[in-house]
Order: sequence, then structure tokens, then C-alpha cells
Amino acid sequence: MIDNIARIGFTVILLAAACFPAAAQQAASVSISVKSHRFQPAEIHAPAKVPIELHVKNLDSTPMEFESVSLRVEKVVTGNSEGIIRLRPLEPGRYNFFDDFHQETNGVLVVR
Amino acid sequence: MINARSARATIFFASFFTATGFVAYAQDNNPVVYRDIETKYIFGFTEGSGIGLEGEKEFSLESVARFGKRDGRYWASESKLEYEFTPNQYVQFELGPLVSVHNIQNVTDLDNRNQVAFAGVFGEIRYLLLDRSPSLPLAITLSAEPEWRRIDETSGERVTNFELELKLNADLELIQNRLYFGANLLYEPEATHDPDHIGAGWEKESTGGVSAALSYRIVPPVFVGAELWYLRHYDGIWFNTYAGDAVYLGPTLYVQLGPKVFMTAAWNTQVRGHDVDVPGSTLNLAEFSRQRGKLKLAVEF
Repeated sequence: MIDNIARIGFTVILLAAACFPAAAQQAASVSISVKSHRFQPAEIHAPAKVPIELHVKNLDSTPMEFESVSLRVEKVVTGNSEGIIRLRPLEPGRYNFFDDFHQETNGVLVVR
Repeated sequence: MINARSARATIFFASFFTATGFVAYAQDNNPVVYRDIETKYIFGFTEGSGIGLEGEKEFSLESVARFGKRDGRYWASESKLEYEFTPNQYVQFELGPLVSVHNIQNVTDLDNRNQVAFAGVFGEIRYLLLDRSPSLPLAITLSAEPEWRRIDETSGERVTNFELELKLNADLELIQNRLYFGANLLYEPEATHDPDHIGAGWEKESTGGVSAALSYRIVPPVFVGAELWYLRHYDGIWFNTYAGDAVYLGPTLYVQLGPKVFMTAAWNTQVRGHDVDVPGSTLNLAEFSRQRGKLKLAVEF
């Protein structure tokens, strides 16, 4: 009985692991800055269906938190530094993001 | 009668949606922002597809309480002290201890009890099978939650129990960032070692279930909704012998209390049920409780 439950759990974990995407694809690099609590530019572009490496440069002296539910990421970038966020391959469309520490700071990633 | 009720419900929901829509419209000079939302906790007992954001960690206290049996006084709860983290954009892990409370007086087939106890531990892995995108409003997650218990959930007796809760969590965005439909498919096998202390070995059982829920965002930090659950209980871990079923119905609430703090609550009432040991029964109060409630408070960091 316990063996059966353990077997089911193990199978589920194996299936989940098998579903992880292969990480060999070349990533597209995209950059954005934050200055005076504004994204510059407020709209950035990236190609569809390839991994994306997003460089977030915080030019303010205070920390910011890059956050997006649709991109499924959040990352704190300390003042006067750069954070790198690796995104999964995305379908075409618009993906909103914002600074969780200054919620009036909004931007959008347009994937084509 | 049914038609009159349906008409009243339609008028109520139409008025509600229109009124809340006007609130958003009236504030256009200072537009209300309805950001994307994590859907995992907006449906009450029904779980949405959300797996959190990569890099996010969360502590939460989640209590599920059950009230009411055939007779006497019955109150039992189980609380998860939960740590949750999302290491990448596809998978989420949760783990923590369980604490149970039982207050049972004069209930048929159960011993009187008044206790608080460390009840066991649980873990959970959630894997995003289908991701929502701008062109696809549907998202699906598979979750597996193994649990070990030393206290029986229903009776509060000391036991050795292993359970595996397997769930398919799906949700559909009906109106962007405002209205969501959620559904769960549940399979939960479990085994308890000699629960009656008569040398009977492992007692096996399983529960299957399906749920449907609607959740509407009335203002940016608040969702209200309703959910319906149908649960079937069996002896044996592969749905071997049907033992009874129950239908639960009730309201749900989700409130974002701050940028990193939220609470969710739900109340379900058993509206229909059947116990194979009680011919003609219209409720199943031996295997399921009359009421159940859920309250969760979470802090992200």
C-alpha cells in the first residue's frame, strides 16, 4: 500500500521533471533602465518563442523590485546596479510589469 | 419557483456587475488599475493555476475547519504552517507542519475529545502544465501533495496515516483581470494503519472530487465569488467500493491587504449527500461535515 503511494508520487515527480524545457536555446537580450522611478523606455520589444535575458539597470539610488505576474518573475535590483532576469520563451502579446516598491512605475514588454 | 429564483439571481448578478463596472468608469479621471493577479487563492477551497513568481517566497497560516455531524457537537480544524517558494517559472514547492484542533462531544461513533496536537507534516509540488498567455486565457497546473499524519483528521485519534492529494487546477480568464472561472479535479488515496486498534492492518480509502468556481474582482484588491464541490468517498485506494458522496456550496473571498500580504476565506455548506449505510439519506454527515470553512493569511517576501 505504502509502496503504491510512493510509486504514484515518484511517477508524478518524474513526469514533472520530464516536462522541464530544454535550456539550450539561444536567448534574446533586452535592456531597460529605471531613472527617477520611470522605466526608460516604458515599452520594450522581444522576439516570440525564444528565451529572453532582460537586463534591468536601476539608475536611482534606491532599490526597486521588478515584478510581473504574466512574466512570472520578481527581482529586487538595488540602487545604482543591474539585475538580470531570465524569461521563458513567450507567446506573442503584451506583458505588463511594474516596480513593486513604487507602483506608479509601469512598463510593458511587447513580444512579436 | 426555480424560474423566479433564476430570474432574481440573474437580476442580482447583472446589477452587481453593472454597478461595479460603473464604479470603475466613474473613476476614469483617476483610473483604477486592475493588474494581473495570481489566481491560486482567489477561488476558496478550489485552487487556481498560479504557482507564484520566480524568486518569490511566502509564509502562511492556512486553517480548514469542519463543523457539524449527525448529532452532538463537532468542531475540528487542521492548520498548515506553510513555507512556499517558486524556484523557476514552471514549478512551486510548499512544505510545513500540520496542527489540529478537535472538540467533539456526544457524536455517534466518535469518542469525546478536546485537544490541540501536532498532527503531521505535508509537502506539495505544483507544476505549470499550460501557461496563460495574451492569446490563451486558460492555465492548468498539476499538484501533488503527500501528507503524513499522526492524528486522524475526523476523530482526532492517534493514528499513522499517509495521504497523497493529486489535483488538476485549471482557471479561465473570462474578463481580463476581473472575472475568472476555476475548476479542480481531485484524486486522494490514503491509508491508515489499524485505525480501530484491533490489529486490522492498513485501512485504505480514496476520495474523488470535482469543483467549479467563479471569482469576480469588485475593486482591485478584492475578489468575491462562489464555488461548488462534489466529493465521492470510497473504500480502497482505487475507488474500489463506493461509500458515499456530498455536495458543498458556498461563498469565497480574497483580499489583498498590502503589496505583500493577502488573506483568503471560504465557507462551504453541505447541501446534498448520501451515505450508503443510511438508506434514503439526503446528507452524508458520517463521512463529511455539515459545514466547512477556510481561512488563510499569507505574507510574501
